Amino acid sequence: MFTVFIDQFWQLTISGIALGFIYVLIALGYTMVYGVLRMINFANSEIFMWGTFGAIVASRDLFRYNQTTEPATGGKLALVLFIQLFAAMAFAAVVSVIVELAAYRRLRARGTNRLATLISAIGMSMVLSETMRLMTDSRPVGSPRILEKVILTEVWGAQIRLDTLITIVAAGAIFIILERFVKLSRMGKAIRAVSMNEDAAKLMGINLNRVITVTFLVGGLATGAAGFFYVTVYEYTKFNIGFTMGLAAFTAAVVGGIGNIRGAFFGGVFLGLAEVYASAILGTQWKAVTIFIVLVLVLLFKPNGLFGEAVQQTRA
Amino acid sequence: MSKTLLKLENLTMKFGGVTALNEVNLEVKEGEILALIGPNGAGKTTVFNVITGVYQATSGSVLFDGHNLVGRKRFQITGLGVARTFQNIRLFGDMTTLENVITATDVHKKSGLVGSLFGTPRARREERENRTKALEILEFIGIDEYSDRLAKNLPYGVQRRLEIARAMGTTPKLLLLDEPAAGFNPQEKVELATTIKKVRDAGYTVLLIEHDMSLIMGISDRVAVLDFGTKIADDSPTVVQNDPRVIEAYLGVPADAS
Amino acid sequence: MKNFNLRDFGADIWERSNRPVRVAIVIVVIGLVAMMPYAGAGFLATPIAAYDAVIVYPVAIFVLMSLGLNIVVGKSGMLDLGYVAFFAIGAYTMGFLGIHTSLNTWEIMPIGIGLAMLAGVMLGLPTLRLRGDYLAIVTLGFGEIIRIVALNVSWTNGPNGISGIPMPPDIGPLKFRLDDQKVFFWVVLAMILMTIWMIRRLSVRRPGRAWEAIRQDEDAAELMGVPTLKYKIWSFTLGAAVGGAAGVLYGSKNLFVAPEMFTLNVSILILACVVFGGIGNIWGVIVGGVILGYLPDRIRFISDARLLVFGLVLVVVMNFRPDGLLPRKKREKALVKKGANS
Ligand SMILES: Nc1ncnc2c1ncn2[C@@H]1O[C@H](COP(=O)(O)OP(=O)(O)OP(=O)(O)O)[C@@H](O)[C@H]1O
Ligand SMILES: [Mg+2]
Repeated sequence: MFTVFIDQFWQLTISGIALGFIYVLIALGYTMVYGVLRMINFANSEIFMWGTFGAIVASRDLFRYNQTTEPATGGKLALVLFIQLFAAMAFAAVVSVIVELAAYRRLRARGTNRLATLISAIGMSMVLSETMRLMTDSRPVGSPRILEKVILTEVWGAQIRLDTLITIVAAGAIFIILERFVKLSRMGKAIRAVSMNEDAAKLMGINLNRVITVTFLVGGLATGAAGFFYVTVYEYTKFNIGFTMGLAAFTAAVVGGIGNIRGAFFGGVFLGLAEVYASAILGTQWKAVTIFIVLVLVLLFKPNGLFGEAVQQTRA
Repeated sequence: MSKTLLKLENLTMKFGGVTALNEVNLEVKEGEILALIGPNGAGKTTVFNVITGVYQATSGSVLFDGHNLVGRKRFQITGLGVARTFQNIRLFGDMTTLENVITATDVHKKSGLVGSLFGTPRARREERENRTKALEILEFIGIDEYSDRLAKNLPYGVQRRLEIARAMGTTPKLLLLDEPAAGFNPQEKVELATTIKKVRDAGYTVLLIEHDMSLIMGISDRVAVLDFGTKIADDSPTVVQNDPRVIEAYLGVPADAS
Repeated sequence: MKNFNLRDFGADIWERSNRPVRVAIVIVVIGLVAMMPYAGAGFLATPIAAYDAVIVYPVAIFVLMSLGLNIVVGKSGMLDLGYVAFFAIGAYTMGFLGIHTSLNTWEIMPIGIGLAMLAGVMLGLPTLRLRGDYLAIVTLGFGEIIRIVALNVSWTNGPNGISGIPMPPDIGPLKFRLDDQKVFFWVVLAMILMTIWMIRRLSVRRPGRAWEAIRQDEDAAELMGVPTLKYKIWSFTLGAAVGGAAGVLYGSKNLFVAPEMFTLNVSILILACVVFGGIGNIWGVIVGGVILGYLPDRIRFISDARLLVFGLVLVVVMNFRPDGLLPRKKREKALVKKGANS
């Protein structure tokens, strides 16, 4: 049971970190929207799924790659990857903004019925995944190989492949860019003001609707980028991949303290590692179960996250 | 001297860096109306929240009728005989006036879900008792003509009174009223004062948060004053009214601001 | 007629009637519904599956499950997105005990209900303390977890599922047959009636008030002495019991259970039924279950895209008519009517 885990520890660690960086970006989507709405965006997992299709549409339909084409090299490689990333982010961001307009905005304008909003959001995520299911005939969609998965180097017996390295470096960079955006830009400051105190932010003349739209947009960009990395590493997607990825990334957001952007980073990496280690020990079929148990335990015992600062909850 | 019903000892409540209550000591005697006053943000509502278990006190104790309330569940505290109203009305809007009160009278009833489902004699009897009691209370408070109206459709003043009626539904020994006259005109305030006196005369002990000085002077037996979480006075209304520290605390703050 | 509202219309007739008339109405309605299996020839016929099977599953079983889920979502305001788990537990209990023991459907029924309730308590005890949206995501996960467990442990026979589940034994002259599902329909109808009875009973008494208070303002409820956790668990567990019962019946009707029958989609379908008809209102929920259970089998287009349609139903209803077809809104008695006329 533990032999795989011990023999392959470093290899597992590396893929766990790469997976973790994907989670980081999706978790960012959950956490940012949570910050402004104080509500879980159930559709985020499907926004991610649409992002993965964005990446595949770019390589397959724009650059006409297919399963028999040679992987790209050099400048072409960089260009294709960049366009893929761009497409994934754009797809997801557009879907994310549509989700906000269709599922949230009207209900928000009418008042605070949380149950109705949650149901509307879950309905929206059903619409997104079903639309994709019907468009793809319920079949998995393979991604043409763009990137030769060369082994760059070995550290302690663990192979570091090009796609892993790109994922870690690029996802890390995107995370930092978005984190800086929220920290430093005018809009980012408005987003944070709304997260801290919606009423006060409104009094300060912040346009709430705009802030929320931008938040969904930025959350969608992050989540879509995750879709690109997913496709690059796993080279396939399907209409139903959102569920497990979403559950894991949401758990990551909770582990990091939901609403806390840096927390999403630690949570994502934590969860990537936990998932990969647990799969090695228990078998991959128990992956979702492990994630679920982590989620429940964290919600019960550390509802503010393992890393986040305590948030005072107000009751009467 | 009548017996002490509620005793707060060195009660401190901190929210992060904010100290909302600082070593507060307070005694409420059985059968009295004690007014708790203080400028906005002084910590009055926080006192109620700590007594009723909404917040866990950072330190200090809350002794009520021989029980320490700190650490108990909120519904258990209500069961022991403490009931409150809310500064910002929190009725069950989609229930009728009568149902609002009956929900509260349930607290001392024994029958649970299984009894209700099969309609055991006890469950039926308790339903009848609840109804009778709730109607009595509505009549007592003077809003029985509204008993079949949905709470959310009631006029504002009736809603405020229903808050009191609902709290009385739990048969409390101690009734905590959080600004029950907020938003009332002088005429309504006078009526409410009469009601509160009537409630006290019916055997309830009342701890009352209020901003309106004339209302307080008219009905309370004693007045305690909070300022920035510290108790600065605790005496008869006339003494408190002339206490320089109290006047200073209120200086520049109109007495009826809320 | 400007604000015509079917619920109020029905309630008016009901209130104007005296007891014998009411009893007569109930008997006639139940009788008419019980005749439904004979009404399948003309307009109601379903092109894809046999009509008499369709009105058992999905229609009647959807109605039963919607009533169960409505206790949780409609009455006490907790969003349970993993309702399929209890349905699965009931169905698997039927499957496993049905082929490994000599127990028949009626003997397995209480066991299935009991296990579903047990699962409800085990999931509810820790998680019902959580805030609404956390509860939603945890139940969502739980629904999938049960399916994954069924897929991966040996006694459920993994992805192949359990086949050869026995039919229920005949009840006197009423015989269960594969090609004639009338008796099944009547059995599910009986369960539906029992569930309605249960909900109506509880609604007007203490548990109903407690749920209503919890739904509207949980903190205020707790401060008025309602043991909220206890009643939340009851609500969850009763919902689970109904789901488990539906599962047992389904297993015994379908003669086969497999993990792919118990996906998240089922939870969403049932939620859509609850929401479409009128969240919190028994009659609305029944209407929702009937319409959303029946239409996909009547109209081919919808049957392919049924989940898409149901997802849209959730979004559209919540945004434009949050009370559904038949709103829950309680009527205020006489006093208001006078007021409204003036
Ligand atoms: N949940 C909380 N988190 C953080 N601070 C709080 C919380 N509840 C109360 N406070 C703070 O404690 C202080 C006292 O508040 P409290 O509501 O008790 O005042 P109050 O005397 O009732 O005022 P008012 O007359 O306006 O009702 C305030 O500074 C308030 O901001
Ligand atoms: Mg206050």
